Amino acid sequence: MATRIATVLPALVTLLLAAGHARAEDVGDATRGKVVYEQYCVLCHGEKGDGKGRYSGDTIPVPRDFRQGTFKWRTTPSGSLPTDADLEKVLITGLYGTSMSSLRTTLNHQQRLDVVTYIKTFSPRFATEKPQPPISIPPEPPYTAKSVARGAAVYEKFNCAQCHGDGAEGDGPSADDLKDDWDNPIVPYDLTEGHIKCGDSGPDIYRVFIGGLNGTPMPSFADSISPDEAWDLVHFIQSLSPVYPKNVTGGSPPPTTKAGDETRKRTPSPGWVYLPIAATSNAMHHAMSAVDSPNK
Amino acid sequence: MIEFSAGRYLIKDCPKPRLRPRGAAVIGGTLLLAQLALADPYTVVAVSNGGTIQGVVKLAGTAPTIAPIEVTKNQDYCGESIPNPVYVVGKDGGLQNVEVYLKDITKGKAVSTDPVSISLVNTHCMFRPRVQAATVGQQITISSEDPVLHNTHPQNSETNATIYNIALPYKGFSVTKPLPATPQLIKVKCDAHEWMHAWIFEFDHPYFATTGDDGKFTIKDVPPGTYTLVAWQEAAGEKTMTVTVAAGKTVTADFQLAPK
Repeated sequence: MATRIATVLPALVTLLLAAGHARAEDVGDATRGKVVYEQYCVLCHGEKGDGKGRYSGDTIPVPRDFRQGTFKWRTTPSGSLPTDADLEKVLITGLYGTSMSSLRTTLNHQQRLDVVTYIKTFSPRFATEKPQPPISIPPEPPYTAKSVARGAAVYEKFNCAQCHGDGAEGDGPSADDLKDDWDNPIVPYDLTEGHIKCGDSGPDIYRVFIGGLNGTPMPSFADSISPDEAWDLVHFIQSLSPVYPKNVTGGSPPPTTKAGDETRKRTPSPGWVYLPIAATSNAMHHAMSAVDSPNK
Repeated sequence: MIEFSAGRYLIKDCPKPRLRPRGAAVIGGTLLLAQLALADPYTVVAVSNGGTIQGVVKLAGTAPTIAPIEVTKNQDYCGESIPNPVYVVGKDGGLQNVEVYLKDITKGKAVSTDPVSISLVNTHCMFRPRVQAATVGQQITISSEDPVLHNTHPQNSETNATIYNIALPYKGFSVTKPLPATPQLIKVKCDAHEWMHAWIFEFDHPYFATTGDDGKFTIKDVPPGTYTLVAWQEAAGEKTMTVTVAAGKTVTADFQLAPK
């Protein structure tokens, strides 16, 4: 018995220490984050976080204005603030089709937490509001032809074509008059081409139906769509392009990017079919850093 | 094209009244946290012999001719055009959809949260009502009577920040949501039909009224004192008046708003 305790105790202590260590690491520091921000972010997002940095005029879409606490990529419901992990996720993956490139290898986990903490100081909402509880995503059923066919009917029932068009090419009747929260013209996504900005996996697409995309005309269907309908609609969307990964045997969903996951391996689990995804590049951020770094 | 420019006009010129500083600080982000603590919250006190403010809001001169909204999508249901409701003037010249309220009132009668939910209906490709008020703690029931996709997208009028954005994908859909926790002027749009606009004043006190088709308003149980009374209209903007309320008396406060 004594031997057992002697063996287990150090292991327990190590575990507890590790847990304590992890907690300490999960706290960002805004002062350190400001240094990171001024090196990698300020040229687009601006000193005041208003999205009006020196290069902002050259990017389409324009850089995010951080002052409203409005973010597209969130695990939280419509209108909610994002979690820290949500913001870090965007730093890790970048945003497909935009100038926001991945900083996965440029910044380590602690630096990302620091800059997230600093970015949150631009909106007073973070001081007075908490992110709402995350959207719940039930297990994904298999991607099948029947599910795709049902999804096409869901697309029609929910009038997705009003903006995205009958062929989901982003050319519906309302497509030409849409504005974002900053009154910038915005177009509905062409779902048949390239990758989806907030991710191609089933759960990524499901999340957008439920949470909407804050700051854009894309609303939340949380109160009108059932989980079965939403999964069928996910599969219909995925059927529109060969590049989207399909959960063909209904296995576990692919590992979604966890905050702090340095490797972000897109290792397909059995049953998931992946096609190559164009990695967003660090090149732009590196280039900016080389030109304008206050430390050089 | 006419409808589009009318829509732009509304958004651009939508006057932004100064509501209570607490809400402005939380949403506007221009004030420091230290100032948050200084803003006076509304305090409920017994009002046994309060006064009444009543009046009528009229448009100075005749209502400008505003072209009807030209419907550019879903014409088969919404029709080819919709009368533009910017200025709704009754037969005696009373102006509808004006929000009249006491500014910076810090104490008075209890705030009512009856009904539990205010209502915003998407009907015939317009919102009904166009202007209404609510108090912090009330909810909003958003519904659609239309067989087209609408979305109800309330935003803070100062920052444009999305409060939430709810899809109303089919006829008969209805959902009840909380209103924001802080007083503010909320502007509501339907992105799918860009001419659809509504305004919701959210107060932390009960001293407000929205004019009906006669342009009249009544604000009751006001503790005696001198106040700033505001009349807000979506296009004409905001006009203020100093009113002194005596115990048990009625004071008349008529407004004339100049059309813009």
